[in-house]
Amino acid sequence: MTSSIEVGVAGVGLFMPGFPTAADWRAGRASDEPELPTGSRLDRRARGRSSVLTKALAEAYFEAADAAGVELGKGSAVFGSALGEVGTMLGLLNQMWRDHEEPSPMAFALSVHNAASGIVSIATKNRGFTTSLGADHDTPAMALMEAIGLIAERGEPVVVVCGEEPTPTALVPDDEAWELATMAIALAPLSDHDDGTPVRLRGPFKVAPTLTGPELRPMLARNPQVGLLDLICAIEAGKSGTIALDRGRGAGWCMEVLVADG
Amino acid sequence: MTLRVEPVAITGMTLSNALGSNCDEVRDALAAGDSRLGPSPVKVPFETAVGAIRVELPSLDGALTPWSTRLTRIAKRLVINLELELAALRERWRPERIALILGTSTAGAETTESAFQHFLATGELPEDYDLWRQHTYGAVLHVMRALTGAQGPGWVVSTACTSSAKPLASAQRLIGAGLIDAAIVGGIDTLCAMTLCGFNALGALSSKPCRPFSSARDGISIGEGGALLLLERSGEPIVWLESVGESSDAYHISAPHPQGLGAQLAMQRALDRAGCSPAEVDHINAHGTGTPHNDGAEANAISEIFGNEVPVVSTKGYTGHTLGAAGATEAVLASFALTDAWIPASLGASPVDERISIKIATERTEGSFRRVLSNSFAFGGNNVSVLLRSA
Repeated sequence: MTSSIEVGVAGVGLFMPGFPTAADWRAGRASDEPELPTGSRLDRRARGRSSVLTKALAEAYFEAADAAGVELGKGSAVFGSALGEVGTMLGLLNQMWRDHEEPSPMAFALSVHNAASGIVSIATKNRGFTTSLGADHDTPAMALMEAIGLIAERGEPVVVVCGEEPTPTALVPDDEAWELATMAIALAPLSDHDDGTPVRLRGPFKVAPTLTGPELRPMLARNPQVGLLDLICAIEAGKSGTIALDRGRGAGWCMEVLVADG
Repeated sequence: MTLRVEPVAITGMTLSNALGSNCDEVRDALAAGDSRLGPSPVKVPFETAVGAIRVELPSLDGALTPWSTRLTRIAKRLVINLELELAALRERWRPERIALILGTSTAGAETTESAFQHFLATGELPEDYDLWRQHTYGAVLHVMRALTGAQGPGWVVSTACTSSAKPLASAQRLIGAGLIDAAIVGGIDTLCAMTLCGFNALGALSSKPCRPFSSARDGISIGEGGALLLLERSGEPIVWLESVGESSDAYHISAPHPQGLGAQLAMQRALDRAGCSPAEVDHINAHGTGTPHNDGAEANAISEIFGNEVPVVSTKGYTGHTLGAAGATEAVLASFALTDAWIPASLGASPVDERISIKIATERTEGSFRRVLSNSFAFGGNNVSVLLRSA
């Protein structure tokens, strides 16, 4: 085991087509609208310029932060994605080489992996810590690892947000395709005498999982960040145990869910 | 509340870029005042100078062959340079307690660009192209794990031009929290058409070798390269990593805050976390990209915190802006002041812009340097300042 640090779960959030909030997911209430994120908490200019991924990550971030009572403008954020803004990158390559045009300067500036992290920090006027990382199917585990290091160091809440936009069809075979999904968990430090936090987490570490994620439609199950959805589902299920963060496609990192009376 | 952190031993370091394939070659080129910025090997429809690695890179063989890209071949160059130090690291710590935290902004974009051109020409991707093995962040992690034996936590930070400075902070945090004992940190970026064309479209690219802080500066020169540093809970340090300050501008996705507020915050946080006063810093390796706005904002920020007497150098006139590799590269370059007792001339800076009041070192300067700060600032308003102390 790598970590014995425990942190509390203070809130969750998500955006997926059909499930624009964690509350909709929890209720099993699929809807047709909105199929794409609106970026409702971003200003008009950022909303217009941001990618689907950035807007979906922002929706998940704000839902989790609100649920946790994180004061916007404060707190740290860790964004994770295996491919980041690859759709924007392909758009730029198309512009350069198919259309023989100069690439859009704004699209170039927003093609960086940390576009969402930057856009959210601007929207919340937060001059604190933010980062953006990737580790393929281990991205959720490593984003949680970074967050737990931050909590241990600073004793402040951290919102972890992971997501992937729909498959870049030019680069991935159809049978490996996935759909858009973004998820967020707000983590908080435990106080010295904390026995009232309903759900705590420990990890990540490499152990055999005792819990399994829900059965999902294949396009969602193949999203490289689905491990964070499995963790959210385990938290919501209210059972203690260890859950894999990679659906068997990464290095085998798991998180232990500790539920009071669970 | 001011957060204090414990220093971490840096027990090994290397780099490879336009100046040379290892620390000795790079040091010699800096001492000679050689710029290696020249014509771009990547075909673009405009004139620019780049810092390209113009020597043969080692190949990836055997089981690693499918992961072979320019990025992973630079990674192998760096690992070869650190062979002895890595062997010592593996003797001191269990593999699962050694983390691998890297940074890149381009990842495998150079390979994907070639694949995409093939796709446009033929309607199919090249047979040997594999997104997961050649483009993603996991690809370089896989190769580095295989080459170094590190089996602990591993991720790639991608925050544009701060990508390889932030891993130093992550590693210091994980060591401080007892989650790991050691870390291999750093970053790699390669030249590619998208970054050259993108910066050109932003009007930020110079057609000639860049001249940070000069009155004649008119933009950046892009470079490529990589750097690695070994961080350990305990050990015989070459230099100490004292602290890292991180902040966000919360201002604009691609333009710095005009007064450099986020940059000031990053530098002040680095000082606070080390419990160190501005007067205790003897040299600053500036982000110093060579664009009028960036250099002006950074100079304001430095002046606000440190006054105008600490010698400041931008090394981008030698290497070009290595983007996602710049943070780690310049941490290594800044550490040379601590180990070798001299700093290079800020190449191309003379004549210094008279609106810049900080002390730009326009000539190689010898002296006793106990603490140095290295700045990296990025798109997204992401700022990092790395504070190093002599051993």
